[in-house]
Amino acid sequence: MHTGAKGEILKIEDLHFSYEKGEEVLSGVNLTAHDGESIGIIGANGIGKSTLMKLLVGLKLDYQGVLEVAGHAVNKKNLSHIREHIGYVFQDSDSQLFLSTVEEDVAFGPTNYGLPPEEVERRVNEALLKVHMTDLRTRHNYNLSGGEKKLAAIATILSMEPDIIIMDEPSIALDPRNRRNLIKILNEINALKIVTSHDLDFIMDTCKRVVLLDEGRIIADGSADEILKDKELLESHGLELPLSLSRR
Amino acid sequence: MKQIEDNIRELNKLQNLQQRSHWMNKLHPLGKLLVCVIYIFVVASFDKYAMDKLLVMAVFPAFCFIVGDLSLKDGLYRMRLILPLVLFVGVFNPIFDRKELFSIAAFGNQIPVTGGVISMLTLMLKGLFSVLSAYILIATTSIEEICYALRCLHVPKIIVIVIMLIYRYFGLMGAEADRITTAYMLRAPKQKGIHYSAWGSLVGQWLLRSMDRASAVYESMTLRGFNGDFRVKRKIVSARDFLYPFIWIVLFILLRHFY
Ligand SMILES: Nc1ncnc2c1ncn2[C@@H]1O[C@H](COP(=O)(O)OP(=O)(O)O)[C@@H](O)[C@H]1O
Ligand SMILES: [Mg+2]
Repeated sequence: MHTGAKGEILKIEDLHFSYEKGEEVLSGVNLTAHDGESIGIIGANGIGKSTLMKLLVGLKLDYQGVLEVAGHAVNKKNLSHIREHIGYVFQDSDSQLFLSTVEEDVAFGPTNYGLPPEEVERRVNEALLKVHMTDLRTRHNYNLSGGEKKLAAIATILSMEPDIIIMDEPSIALDPRNRRNLIKILNEINALKIVTSHDLDFIMDTCKRVVLLDEGRIIADGSADEILKDKELLESHGLELPLSLSRR
Repeated sequence: MKQIEDNIRELNKLQNLQQRSHWMNKLHPLGKLLVCVIYIFVVASFDKYAMDKLLVMAVFPAFCFIVGDLSLKDGLYRMRLILPLVLFVGVFNPIFDRKELFSIAAFGNQIPVTGGVISMLTLMLKGLFSVLSAYILIATTSIEEICYALRCLHVPKIIVIVIMLIYRYFGLMGAEADRITTAYMLRAPKQKGIHYSAWGSLVGQWLLRSMDRASAVYESMTLRGFNGDFRVKRKIVSARDFLYPFIWIVLFILLRHFY
């Protein structure tokens, strides 16, 4: 199923992208990722993290360069195939939850892929179990709290059992307890995780590999330990040391 | 703003109603949709002076409100925006149609009743019954189920998607309007309402933000494999699902032709 190196499910080569006639947001991004990795994409606000994530799931197709997910080039023809492999958790959970109840929303993806009802049921159960929301399955989306909405949104993606899970700023607008809970849950998920954030503490707690983005390029790519400790590097690209490190 | 908040709460209450575990909620949506539509057609087809016969058609809404455990008061309240419209269609009939049909005795006088009065009342009744029938459908059937039923009837995908999205977007637009007006009010606390000079930019913002939200929702749907088909958790079609529409439709036709 996968081409290229063993376990390689994401390949980006010399990726360029700009919104209609605007300045280039991405100008030559190179990145490969493998099964089971956890990658934090960091960078200042407005640097293009969300844009890169949207390109990965094929929400924007007018890019230049190589972009392959699970061995398939991201293009119109491959879209439905790619989307079976990759799940995207929106920054704003309200955009993700549009059906009436939690369980309906979690069932939406697998049902669309035509899975038999028993399999859909199994996946819904499992996804809700993974985010510890089994008790809330018949609750209405509109009366969930912010933290619960985020977890429900993640469950809607987990139920599709993707190889890659992308999360755009997942820790934004979460209180400390929900944030800790989310960290724990993310660490229990086995798929390739790509998390964007400018909350470096959150990245430190959830990702082993960190990619620093600035000026449309990847400035640094390495282990979280290494990059998140590099005060000079972070500060020269509009970021600060994680709080937990700067305190020491 | 208080009003918008109330409207959102109203929408949510309706959704709660759709989620009840009452047997009427569990009926196959296609049957319910057919009953609703055929009822409206039958009611509309009554003669314009046939108020007495039309009254019997109240049996359907009466049954659903009582057996379905719905509150008539809430129903009328939720339909308050449409009701005046349907009730006022016939208000000019008494002026144009002055032919005396019969007279009723009251206080020792004979009060003439004209065709216009009867046709006005008949029209109002038709309107009221149709609105109640539509309310019964939406109170017991979620929008996803209604869309699914429309697809069963081979209504084109694109029309069904538009219906569903409009329904979704109403909620989103309400929420956005709420956010924007709240932000405005917090910074203009002494003001009643919104100053006219701010309307332009607020409305502009509202439309832009609603569109952003709407496209994000649509993106999130397509990312999870949505291609225009509604795959509501397929129900096992039971005898009840056939019997319910069958009995009603037969009854409607009998009432229309033989009563
Ligand atoms: N839909 C859009 N149309 C035009 N420009 C956009 C759009 N979305 C984002 N941008 C621009 O692209 C750049 C990167 O945005 P984004 O990817 O959202 O950054 P980040 O997620 O890192 O904060 C920003 O300069 C932003 O203004
Ligand atoms: Mg972003």
